[in-house]
Amino acid sequence: MAMVVDELPEFGLSEFTSSSATTPDDDHSRSWSDWSPVVDWDAFSVQPQENFHDLFEPEMDEDTDKTVSYSDDDRNLASPGSLMSTEPMTDCRSESDDTKGLRLVHLLMAAAEAMTRDNKGHDLAAVILVRLKDMVSTHEGTNMERLAAYFTHALRNLLESKGGGGGGGGGLHYKQQHHHRADILAAFQLLQDMSPYVKFGHFTANQAIIESVTHERRVHIIDYDIMEGIQWASLMQALISRKDGPPTPHLRITALSLPGSGRRSISTVQETGRRLIAFAASIGQPFSFHQCKLDPNETFKPTALKLVRGEAIVINCMLHLPHFSYRSPTSVASFLSGSKTLNPKLVTLVEEEGPREDSGFVGRFMDTLHNYSAVYDSLEAGFPMQGQSRALVERVFLGPRILGSLARVYQEQGECASWGDWLSGAGFHPVNISFANHCQAKLLLGLFNDGYRVEESASNKLVLGWKSRRLLSASIWASSPISD
Amino acid sequence: MIKQNSMFLPSFPMNTNPVSETMLFGEPDPDLNSGQIMDWLEDSLPYLPSLLDDLYDSTDIIDDPWWAPVEELEHDIINADIFSTFESVENLTSTVSSTVTSSAPSPPTELPGVPDQPPQPAFDLSKKRKAPPEEGKRSNGNKKGTGKSTKDSSGNSGNDGRWAEQLLKPCAAAIAAGNATRVQHLLFVLHELASPTGDANYRLASHGLQALLHHLSSSTNTPRKVVTPVTSFTTATPKFFQRSLINFNDINPWFTIPFNIANNAILQVLSEQEHGSCKTLHILDIGVSHGFQWPTLLEALSRRVGGPPPLVRLTIVSPENHQIPFANCPTGYDFKSNILRFAKDVNINLQINTLDNCPLQNLNTQIINSSPDETLIVCAQFRLHDLTHTKPDNRTEFLKLLRSMEPAGVILSDNNMDCKCSSFDAGFSRSLDYLWSFLDSTSVAFKGRDMEERKLMEGEAAKTLVNMCEMNETKEKWGVRMMGVGFVQTAFGEDVMDQARALLKKYDNHWELRVEEDDEAVGLWWKGQSVSFCSLWKIDPKTSNL
Repeated sequence: MAMVVDELPEFGLSEFTSSSATTPDDDHSRSWSDWSPVVDWDAFSVQPQENFHDLFEPEMDEDTDKTVSYSDDDRNLASPGSLMSTEPMTDCRSESDDTKGLRLVHLLMAAAEAMTRDNKGHDLAAVILVRLKDMVSTHEGTNMERLAAYFTHALRNLLESKGGGGGGGGGLHYKQQHHHRADILAAFQLLQDMSPYVKFGHFTANQAIIESVTHERRVHIIDYDIMEGIQWASLMQALISRKDGPPTPHLRITALSLPGSGRRSISTVQETGRRLIAFAASIGQPFSFHQCKLDPNETFKPTALKLVRGEAIVINCMLHLPHFSYRSPTSVASFLSGSKTLNPKLVTLVEEEGPREDSGFVGRFMDTLHNYSAVYDSLEAGFPMQGQSRALVERVFLGPRILGSLARVYQEQGECASWGDWLSGAGFHPVNISFANHCQAKLLLGLFNDGYRVEESASNKLVLGWKSRRLLSASIWASSPISD
Repeated sequence: MIKQNSMFLPSFPMNTNPVSETMLFGEPDPDLNSGQIMDWLEDSLPYLPSLLDDLYDSTDIIDDPWWAPVEELEHDIINADIFSTFESVENLTSTVSSTVTSSAPSPPTELPGVPDQPPQPAFDLSKKRKAPPEEGKRSNGNKKGTGKSTKDSSGNSGNDGRWAEQLLKPCAAAIAAGNATRVQHLLFVLHELASPTGDANYRLASHGLQALLHHLSSSTNTPRKVVTPVTSFTTATPKFFQRSLINFNDINPWFTIPFNIANNAILQVLSEQEHGSCKTLHILDIGVSHGFQWPTLLEALSRRVGGPPPLVRLTIVSPENHQIPFANCPTGYDFKSNILRFAKDVNINLQINTLDNCPLQNLNTQIINSSPDETLIVCAQFRLHDLTHTKPDNRTEFLKLLRSMEPAGVILSDNNMDCKCSSFDAGFSRSLDYLWSFLDSTSVAFKGRDMEERKLMEGEAAKTLVNMCEMNETKEKWGVRMMGVGFVQTAFGEDVMDQARALLKKYDNHWELRVEEDDEAVGLWWKGQSVSFCSLWKIDPKTSNL
């Protein structure tokens, strides 16, 4: 089938991509399959007593093979007291990097712990952060070093805002605004190229939408955070190219927008709308676009929507994708609960995965560190040569997210609740992920590294992970049970 | 793009299934590549040419001055010190694993005792050292020394906060609890922060880390691969030792105040004696003064109304235990000739005896050669805490022995702190409090300057962390013991207090003298924390017939 995209003029950033590919970099190519985490995260438990128990029962270790990360050479060292793993080094990876990574994690954990204490603890945290600052930089060194630099900076911000008073976590997040718009675009481009994080969510959601609206004549998608709208271009293409299928339905998209939202995202909702309209026209997709502003407190009023009788309503809720801006839990909750009253045919939800139990600030801090470490590592595995490109993505998207995440974690507004659980609790019904959808996700990951994993953690949920770390999940729901 | 797509589709297992008709995957290229996305966003890119320029012109998100590079200062000494600490941590890693292994029920995977095959650390730092230096790439590791060398001057290093103990105390507690994970975590952090230079916190971390490693290796019988030489009195040269003490006493009243109070108390006891000036004065010196205390006493005696005693005898009991802080002196150090010369200059008839290798418990009137017709005054300073007070209770036995010598007065000074015999972590924590006061007051005394003299005094004080015989007691407990064997406490005279207060004015104003109401001892305090006490005792007349 003819690719519409091929008719569009070649433009722009492909040039950038190739230039970055030839940019000399201090990264060495390495076989990512040899690659393994620097840090044995299990060793950094916040419940030391449990570890203590493990440590003193080596036979347990042998049974459960918790020391899998040791090479044969190291096997004899894998005594239960060995709290860190050193990998067999490939030629290009110096062991000192690993050792340093370990030192950094210890220091970060100690700083986080110190911050949970009184003022005395803050003195200790300040000293540790000064030490960390000497050791790392956000724009050079290994993944762990750059990551540690962002975490150090985030902790430092928290410490200062705590001491000086004022300045909530919200302010930290929007540092993103300061970026040059071109940087944001380039970083978004790179993120798409380097990882499946964005596409995984879009494709899984779109596939579910396509499957659920097969026989509908009118489809109305209400999108919580439309961003640049690229998700819908691929949906439209899929809709018009159904061979021997039902006639192409009319597609209507209502994008929710934040009150007073200006230029802080990749493009404004209006721009996105213009693009979508033009694109739909170019491929012959019947289409209309609407915009619906959220209330000043970012809550959603279903009555503000324009609805047409007989249209199938789809609720699309993309949260926490790496390039997305932060939305408050109350805003998300108002959107999802408001959606219920619309009796949607389908709800597509993409959100961050993470342990949901409350393990205190240190536990959640370590979890956040672990999470971002996995993201960094996956990006590196995808584009080992493009250290500077990754640095751009880190600077534009990940760094600010780290600041925001830690601020919220510290203020104990931790993102602890799973919105999937919330939907289930609110009476939504799970819709099975089709086999085709699952296969599609697998194929998508096949374009990237073997390190990515997709698993079906529930019948209606696919989880994207890097190595053993779960990162994003896509789940699909309906307001009434699907009977088929 | 097309090519990739066509390669992709035939292999798609669902291709013949009707469902695949609705699959997104075949339709838009799953790898929406750069061109497509940029096309998508094209109208929002009015200034594309600037994009490439901006891309690598990384004005970092973090452009606050906090991230400005630290001025590079080379400091080889610091690097060398850190290196040795690193080896200690390496050693420790094996210690911790062998601790765990030895207590594990299953056969250990390694034998800690095999000399050729010392337990391997879980991560081998030696490999790091073998790694060739990376050229052209900034080595962050080398920045370490740089960072530390600026610590004393950096305003944000938390000078006022006592942060080091927040790592050391939990670490000791974790050792006591057998929590190897936590021990290792805290040791890692300590290792990163400890420095033998810098403010008192960095030094406390450094001494504390060494002590914890020492404890771990000794409690597991693992021979320490690296013995870091501790600067101490016994390893110093006599000349340097002397210079250090003179300098220290000049700027820190840690010892000069107890010495001053003791000397004036001796004069007070003498003046309260009938015919005091006619009798021989015999001072039994169980102390840490290394002779520095006595010239002022001799001078005061020479100016005494009624003249000096016909003979002044000084019997000095050398310490047996080499771990008592400040008690030992370098071999070859001899102050006797100096003091004798001084005595001659001020017309005092002085006799000095030194009792070497004589345990305190063996002292008696014969050994110290005292006779009833002399005035015996015992001056016990910072030494008696070495006597066991648990089982056997050598401490009470010794005090009984003192009582039997029928001294005219006993001056008792010691650290005013609780005993560390209850548990390792409680004891370690008390020793840290003691060492903190010492390091902090010494840092103030040296105005933050790093000097060899300072290092010597601090190294000696740090012995308290590893000396298992530091069985301090509070002044109240000492009081109970003294009264129990037949002594009664006597107040220091006004004169004694006035002179001590006058002397203290010379020092930093965080120091203070406190006399508590219910008790006639004098306390020396640093920043609101009791450091030591001085008390004066006489034989209880009610028990004089015992």
